[in-house]
Parts: sequence; structure tokens; C-alpha cells
Amino acid sequence: MFGSLWGFSEVILGSMIADAGYPSGGLMTGFFVIPILILTRMIYRQPGMALGMGLVAGSLRLFNPFVGCHICSAIAIMAEGAIFELIFYGISADFKELKSMTMKSSIGIFSAYIIFVGGYIVTQILTPIVAGAGFYLENLIIFMPRILAAGVLPALIASLTVPLVISVRKLDISIKDKIYYPTTLGITIVCWIVVISSWAVLAA
Amino acid sequence: MRAPMILGKEKLIPIFAMVVLLVGTFSAIYVHASQIEKDSITINSQEYTIDQIFIIAESMSIETDEGVKSGVSLMDLINQVGIGCISCNEYTFKAKDGYQQTVDFEILKTGILTDYSRVYFPNTAHALWVRDVVEIEVK
Repeated sequence: MFGSLWGFSEVILGSMIADAGYPSGGLMTGFFVIPILILTRMIYRQPGMALGMGLVAGSLRLFNPFVGCHICSAIAIMAEGAIFELIFYGISADFKELKSMTMKSSIGIFSAYIIFVGGYIVTQILTPIVAGAGFYLENLIIFMPRILAAGVLPALIASLTVPLVISVRKLDISIKDKIYYPTTLGITIVCWIVVISSWAVLAA
Repeated sequence: MRAPMILGKEKLIPIFAMVVLLVGTFSAIYVHASQIEKDSITINSQEYTIDQIFIIAESMSIETDEGVKSGVSLMDLINQVGIGCISCNEYTFKAKDGYQQTVDFEILKTGILTDYSRVYFPNTAHALWVRDVVEIEVK
């Protein structure tokens, strides 16, 4: 469900933000991707879940009708899930290290920056290859300062959103199984139907 | 008592956060300082204004997934500026913010350059649609 929500948000919300002329990648990463990855890690405590969510979100992105290169965006999202797993490999599942505000903000800054910049670099490598133009290392190197600079926005946003999400741990969120499974299934189905139908409408 | 040799996560994570913020901030300063501001486009080491480009090269419209785009034919433009054997070269489009993409002749011949200095190619990733072009390097 969370992977579908991620993919749905990238496709629908991300495209709307980009159309409005705002930096959708940075805003989505700081406000949505990092918080949802940390929230699911906190609730389910399952290493590898972020990678799975990235795979689902990336698959959903393949149906995105709004951009020209579907597969590279999808792979970039999958890469973001994998980078999150690497960063949080050394962090305990209950986040006991992240007690102080400094630690919560710092992990937000570091994870958002690395995930955003990593995903950006993956896209810059894959897009020209998929487009048939070939990858030129010099084009990436000369653009690296821009990529590194672009990571500051999601990092600063995550320095605020991550402490907020981690504080949710103190709330008692529990849903009965009887409601949980139909709810998650319903949300997942809605996400996929909306994305695929928006693709079908534009393709028609 | 000796100090521990390895820094704990409590110290490393804030240090890493500071480092990435510093790298990002200095990169932003560098990007801002190195941004190229000019109205003309350098093609094969010669300067051309957009008006000159639209006089020397023939106009063309192409269909993209964002609708019809109009400008001058890149193939004709390259031909008109006196590049020998245009199919033998690769072409790098450089934007004022440092972004650049390289295409071969097969892609170049399908593309256009608009009066707002953006290149478009039909049926390609938008990443190749370089905006605010300041130079076309012939390789």
C-alpha cells in the first residue's frame, strides 16, 4: 500500500507541482518520500521494506503519462528505495539512536540529501541511455554542482519533517486486522486505478 | 582512560549532515557564480543571435508528446553554419545553468531550436530537450 501511495504521489502530485513551476523532486522527497519511508520503517520494523516500496512505486511510475522517459524515472525511484535501505542499515529498527532533536534532524538532512542526489544521478545516467543518445560522463560531471546544490532543499525540508514523523511513534496508532487489510487493499487498488486511467485518458 | 577510537553514530550522523549541507551550499554558490548570461548562441565557436539563426535556417514544426513545437531545423542550422560532414559529428547542447546533453546526427536531424532557445526532439526523453541553450558544440 505504501509503495502504491508513493508511486501515486510521484505521478499525480509530483506532476502537478512540476506543472506549477516548483521543484517537484525536492519537495516530494522532503515532504513525502523520506517521511513515508521512515514512518513505515518505524511501524513495521522490516529491513528491505523500503526497497520493496521503491519497486512498487517505480512500477506504478511506468504507467506515468506525464513524462517522456518512464523507465528511467521508475529506476530512479527504485534506486531511492535501495539507497534508503543502505543508509538505515546501521540504524536500529526502533530508532533508539534518534532520541535527540539534533539526531532526528541530522538523519533527515543526511538521508534526504543522499537519496535525492543519488536518484538524480541515476536518472542522469539512465535517461540518455534509454533515449538512445548514449551516456557521456563529461555531461554528468559538468552538471554535478547543480545536482549537489539541488539536494539542499529536500535536506532542509526533511530536517523538519523527519523529527515530526519520528514523534508520531509516541502516538498509539493501532488498527484492527479486520479493518486494516480491506483498507490497505482498497487504497492500493484506488492508487493503481487512478494512475492507469489517467494514462488511458491521455493516450485516447 | 583512553578516548574511543571510533566515533559513535551520535557524532557521525550530525557530522555527515553538516558535510552534505556544506557541499550543497557551496555547490549552489558555485552554480550561481558560474551561470552564463548571454543572449546569443555559440555554434562551432561562432556567435549567433536568435534573430540571425531564424534568418539563416529554415523553420520547421514537430509533434512532441507536449504538442506541436515550432522553431528552426537543427539539421539545416548546422548545415548553414558551415559544418563539414554533419552526419559525422556529435552535437552537445549546453544550457546557461551548466546542463548539457550530447546527441548524434540521427537524433539531431529530427530536432528544432525555438525562439526561446530550447531544443526539442520528437519521441525522445525530455532530458534531451535542453532549455536556455547558450552553445552548440560540434565534436
